[in-house]
Amino acid sequence: MAEITDITNEFIRQEIEEFIERPDERQRTIGTFAQACPEMQVIAAALIEGENETVSRLTRQALDSGIEALEVMDYGLIAGMGIVGIKFRQNFIFVPEVLACARAMKAGMAHIEPILSAAGVDPVGTVVMGTVKGDLHDIGKNLCIMMLRGAGFVVHDLGVDTSPDRFIEAIEETKAPLMGMSALLTTTMPNMGKTIEAFIDADLRDEVKIMVGGAPVTQEFADDMGADGYGKDALACVALAKNLLGVAVKS
Amino acid sequence: MNSRQRVLSALRREPVDRTPVCNPTSVATVELMDLVEAPFPEANRVPELMARLAATSYTELGFDSIMPVFSIIQESSALGCKIQWEQKDNWPTVKMREPIFQDVDDIRIPADFLNHSDTRCVTEAIKILRKEFGNEVAIIGKTMGPWSLGYHCFGVEPFLLMSLDSPGKTKVCLDKLKEATIRFGIAQIEAGADALTLPDHATGDLVSGEYYARYLRDLHIEFAERLRVPIILHICGKTEDRMEFIAQTGMAAFHYDSKNDPVESMRIMRNRTSLVGNINNPETLFSKGPEAVHNEVIKNLQAGVQLVGPECAIPLQTAIENLKQIPKTVKEWHKEKASRNWRG
Repeated sequence: MAEITDITNEFIRQEIEEFIERPDERQRTIGTFAQACPEMQVIAAALIEGENETVSRLTRQALDSGIEALEVMDYGLIAGMGIVGIKFRQNFIFVPEVLACARAMKAGMAHIEPILSAAGVDPVGTVVMGTVKGDLHDIGKNLCIMMLRGAGFVVHDLGVDTSPDRFIEAIEETKAPLMGMSALLTTTMPNMGKTIEAFIDADLRDEVKIMVGGAPVTQEFADDMGADGYGKDALACVALAKNLLGVAVKS
Repeated sequence: MNSRQRVLSALRREPVDRTPVCNPTSVATVELMDLVEAPFPEANRVPELMARLAATSYTELGFDSIMPVFSIIQESSALGCKIQWEQKDNWPTVKMREPIFQDVDDIRIPADFLNHSDTRCVTEAIKILRKEFGNEVAIIGKTMGPWSLGYHCFGVEPFLLMSLDSPGKTKVCLDKLKEATIRFGIAQIEAGADALTLPDHATGDLVSGEYYARYLRDLHIEFAERLRVPIILHICGKTEDRMEFIAQTGMAAFHYDSKNDPVESMRIMRNRTSLVGNINNPETLFSKGPEAVHNEVIKNLQAGVQLVGPECAIPLQTAIENLKQIPKTVKEWHKEKASRNWRG
């Protein structure tokens, strides 16, 4: 079993010691970073600090030095974003800091995506995400998207005020096996159920797993609507997405 | 004591005959719209309909206050934001994906800000209500704080990123936007508002308590000083970590969310600011029955919360029966308490 002393980067060690309390998450994070080379740990540290220009420069440098794109993504960017997600869930950091980290992730991925795409590397999974019809709020959905992308998913963002037909169209177009719906308003929550009914009517319900979330949404409501899962926050959304797609948690 | 006296006394933390029932955000529901033929979206834009629908909180539900502003879009519309007005079953919303400001220099409060149809609708509705109800019920206005206006005018994510990247610039933005808050607030006071709700959504679901102290505490002190009626600050979500700062602002009251424990919230406030709330909307008022509502009301009464009511704008599909349960429980609880006291 990896020990925290196996991690060379002092900043990462401090982050784990200070912010990751759950034993399973702590051990998983230590295991990931113990396998990461020092350059990847530095990239992760810059991402956790929200330094997008540094992440961009270091990612480019790592790729130019011959480190595989997949390694940079998994052990630099995704590993860094994993700590960000836990800190956010535990209220050590808030949305502005997460936005800055996601911006740094995006800066790194700008170098990596073209390489992975050209090599035909499959993503962890593909998800269609949208805020339901009548609802223009998207910060919660966007946080989920940031975390999903931060975990290696390809996400098709349908934006806000998304009609059931638009969800269906997107699933047919992308062939995504998973879809997420968000609502902030109690008035628009029922549109989650209406969208699920539209999938049943279109004979597509078995083609896609559907997860729901949003401030007023509860597990009970999700069950009543016939959703496959409910995520109470952005990190729970990632765990749920992995669970619904049967993706193994990296250890 | 009449309803108005009861609300105003509770806002000053003075003795009351019973706890007032109040929602300083919105009690509009589809059932109430049908009852008085004042449906959305028109009731958000036509003063007579706005006043008629707002009055139902007093005439139909038995609340002690009337709040004519059912949404949070009026001043943003007057500033130039695009609005999706929606239909009867949904609130109007600012199209935040189409921001009107990118930088601090873009911020302009139009000369006709108070004459815009959407701000004027509110002041006209307040005048109608004041004329109709005189001094028997508390009429509460609403003016949005600069943090919320920042979300509307810049977009949520750009505004939050700016707050992290450029704190100085963010403070200048807030300082410029606060004039909209003050001008609209004063206009409503002049129209006859007894108190003002000031929603400023620096919620614990988005930003830290330290953020509240850094960006908003001083501005909220200024609002409490410049707007010469009791101000009810409204922030959704988890807020216990910033209640100490809120209590330092001089705001008369804080409208708090069900994510916060009434006893703990009262302990933090230490009688410096009244609390209003915090009956859960989606899980209780919207989804459950009168018994669940009763239990939450009792929890607040036992904690000593000064004004009891829903935590935020109630869901439009909420049953009237559930809303009527709030004043019913409050009255029963006080009656029982008086009876216990009398028996010794």
